[in-house]
Order: sequence, then C-alpha cells, then structure tokens
Amino acid sequence: MATYNAFTQEWLDAWKQKIAESQEYKEIAKDWEGSVALICNADPSKNVPNPVYLFTDYWHGDVRDFLVCDEAKAQTGKFIMTGDYARWKQVAKKELDATKALMQGKLKLKGDLTYVVRNVKTINKVIDLLTEVNTVWPDDV
Amino acid sequence: MVYDESLSFVYFGPTKIIFGSGSSTSELESEMSALGRSRAVVVTDPGIIKAGLAEKIIKTLGNKCIGVFSDVPQDTGIDVVNRGAAFARERGADIVISIGGGSVIDTAKCICILLTEGGSLANYEGIQLLTRPQTPHIVIPTTAGTGSEVTWIAVVYDKDKGQKILIVESYNAPRAAILDPQLTLKLPPLLTASTGMDAMTHAIEAMTSVQREPVADAMALQAIRLLSTYLPQCLKDGDNIKARGQVQLAATMAGWAFGNAMVGLVHAMAHSIGAVARVPHGVSCGILLPYCMDFNIGESEPEAIEIYAAIAQALGVSTRHDEPKVAAKAAVTEIFDLLKRIGHPLTLSGFGVKEADILKAADLSMADGAIVNNIRYVSGKDEVLEIYRKAL
Repeated sequence: MATYNAFTQEWLDAWKQKIAESQEYKEIAKDWEGSVALICNADPSKNVPNPVYLFTDYWHGDVRDFLVCDEAKAQTGKFIMTGDYARWKQVAKKELDATKALMQGKLKLKGDLTYVVRNVKTINKVIDLLTEVNTVWPDDV
Repeated sequence: MVYDESLSFVYFGPTKIIFGSGSSTSELESEMSALGRSRAVVVTDPGIIKAGLAEKIIKTLGNKCIGVFSDVPQDTGIDVVNRGAAFARERGADIVISIGGGSVIDTAKCICILLTEGGSLANYEGIQLLTRPQTPHIVIPTTAGTGSEVTWIAVVYDKDKGQKILIVESYNAPRAAILDPQLTLKLPPLLTASTGMDAMTHAIEAMTSVQREPVADAMALQAIRLLSTYLPQCLKDGDNIKARGQVQLAATMAGWAFGNAMVGLVHAMAHSIGAVARVPHGVSCGILLPYCMDFNIGESEPEAIEIYAAIAQALGVSTRHDEPKVAAKAAVTEIFDLLKRIGHPLTLSGFGVKEADILKAADLSMADGAIVNNIRYVSGKDEVLEIYRKAL
C-alpha cells in the first residue's frame, strides 16, 4: 500500500479518494454544505517550519476541491479550524476526538459551532477515512 | 459516577465569585480597583431600570460610571451589541458592568470583545479565535438561573443570517460575578420557579452529557442539592434572603457545570419550542426535564440509570443502598413533584403550544447542537415528538 507524506497534495488526493469512495460517508454527509480550511501552526521543532494551509470542500455527500493552498485561500473557508501540529496529529490518529478538541479549546474554529456540532458524524467519518491513508508525519522522519 | 482510564477533560472556571447580601454596592468599587479600572459602562435592560435594581449600584459608582446602556431586549442581537459598543467606546469605557439576566450578560460579553478587538462581531463567531484578554467584565446577575455569569459562551441573534450565532471564548469569561441575593428578592414567582428550573436543568443535563466529567459533576450535584432544598423556600417566601442566596449560588454552580460539560436533549427541545412558540426558556426546560429524564432511562440504559441514581440522592429521595433503577425513577418522580411544589407550569399547552408547533419544533430539535451531547442517542424526530406530546 502506498505511503504519503502528510500535508502534501498527494496525501490530500489519497484522503479525498477514500472519502469519495465511501458510501457510508455519502449517506452520513448528505446534508453537509461547505468548505473546511485546516490550518496547522508552524512548529520547527517538529519539522513543520511554516504554517500549513489545507482547503477541503464538501457538498451533500460529494467531495470537491482538496488543496494545499495559501493563507488567502484558507481564509475563504466556510469553517476554518486552526491548531498546533501536535493537536492535528492527535486528531488525525484518533488519539483526540475532534469535537472534544474544539470544545476544550485545543483547536480553534471560525464559523458556526452549532452546525459543526450537529454534523459531528460527518467530521468523525472524514477523520476515520484519513486513518486509512498511510501517512508519514513530519516528526516521524 | 465511574469514569475509566480513558478520562480526559479540561475544566475552566476563572470567574471570581463575590457573594453576600448587599455585595453589589459594597464590593463593586473595590473589584473595579483591583482590576485597575475606573471608567465603567453599565449594561442593563429597561425592566431592571424600571424595577429600580440598578439605581443603588449606579449611585455607588458615582463618577466611575460614565454611562448606562439600557437598550437591551430579551433576545439580544448584533445590532444591540454594536450600539452598546459604540456607546461605550465614545465614552472611553475601560470596564463593563452588566446588571441583569442572560441577554444583558451576553450583550456585555460581546461589547467587551468589540471594545478590545474592534471590527464586526460576526468575525468572532466560533471558538477560541481571540488571542488576548478582553475588556474586563463584572457581572451582577438579577436572576438565579442562566449561570451566564461564569460561562464563556455568548449567544446573539444575527439578523442578516436569520439565526443565532455562538461566540465561545475563554478570554471573554467574566472576571468577576457579584452575587447579591437582595437583587433577586423582587423576582416574581413564575420567574423564580422557571429560572430555578433552568438552573436545575443545567445541573442535571451537565451530569448526563456525553462531555460529562468529575469536576463539573461536583458542581452539578451541589447545585441540585441546593435547588431542591431552597427553591421551594423561595416560592413560599420571596423575602427569604437566605434561600434566595442559596438558589443564586446553585445557579452559578450549575453554570460552571454546563459551561464545561454542555447540555443535551432538554435544551435542544427548549430552544426549539422557544423559537416556534415563544415559550420562555426556563419554563420549557422545567416542563420537559422529567420527560427527557424518563426517555434517557429508557428500558434500562445503564449509564443513565447510574447517574440519575446519584441525582436522586442529591434530590434527597434515595440513598446509596437503593437499587439504581428504582432510584433513577425516583429522581424523575421527584422532579415532577418539585414542579408542583413550586407552582411551575406543567404543560406546554398552557403556553398556547399546539400540535402544529411541536411538529415544527421536533424538526428543529434534531438540528440543535445540544442534542449531540445527550446521554441517550436520539435516532429521529419521532422520539422527540413523543416527548413533546407527553409534555403538551
């Protein structure tokens, strides 16, 4: 099975494919509308020298753009989640529940919290599917 | 309550509490000085002004009160916040004092953000977007229910979006809350009962939330004990200042509990029937609470049973020797009985709610963020509708 370096376009493409192929996701996410930008703060000690900006877009069970982007593009997201690298890695490996991370202030959210909370199943499914992508994290190297 | 080795939580309760009869006048100036502030804008509502509750406080402040913004409606909105912030900014305010209930407190929380950060409030919709402490805010609550004096959540109506927005900011938690039971002496019986049941619902739902944790449980259990003892006393004698004070403390403790552990089905349904049929929040919480408790116990939901058994002990209707399911059911019965003892409304139809209203509200409930925290998973609107019908 292929392995991808986290935060690369190839990695995002692999994640997108997992989501697009999932019938379960389509059913769970049938009401979700809108993009989610993920911003990872720089952490040079963990081989993340600069902030990372990812743009992911979802529409009623379909997946649209999944892009490594710049800050300007990330700021156009309907939801913008920001966090330290360590937190993102914990969420991606399901060591930290994403909604709990938000409610505990371990991740920041710009956007309608109520919408995110009531669509928590969609978020959890997207993360579940990420765990199926073999990932090399920056500080694993 | 048994938590296992996977327990992990954050408890946040930074607000200083000053409690005592007369404290709203005796302690306010020194609290302001301790924060190094001397130019206060008071935020309140017309009802508080009319009732004369703010008068002594404003007089005590003297020239340290540089303005009073009392244009706050029952459900606050971005436009109200903008006007309040402009009012405070023009006068060079360096601290905000809120005197009132939830809407006044939320307005003041948002004014504090705009005073520090500027811009538009809509830019702060979300969680933890702020990176520094905000303009200090001292709360003087005049109801004993919302617990907003210790939470870091503000809810305001956005007319452009046609919905309420949530602003969750730990940097915006009030610096201090001055709990003066004298300010609640004039609270009429229905408001006393319903705000008290709002507090009871906060405490019980915090304990049964999927985000529950032991520190919030401790706050909730003590709130339940105090409310079950002293809320009836407040209704029996509205001038019982000891009872008023204990209920005020309970509401604050319940605020800490749900501020950390969140709420569940009762609040999802109360928000919804409030939006559809304008049933006051505390009233709908009180009416719906026992029915939702019964739903959560279900046929035999073990976690819910264990928690409600603990709640039954706090309510004084069970001991630890009782069989848990029996105790859990006793908690439900006791809430029904408490509602009757305090003269709380018992039916939604008493507030004009009809079948058509609950059909709409059931849909809305399923879309309310609070529902995901409920201990028992709600599979669809039919389950919600059944509860509404029982409460109708």
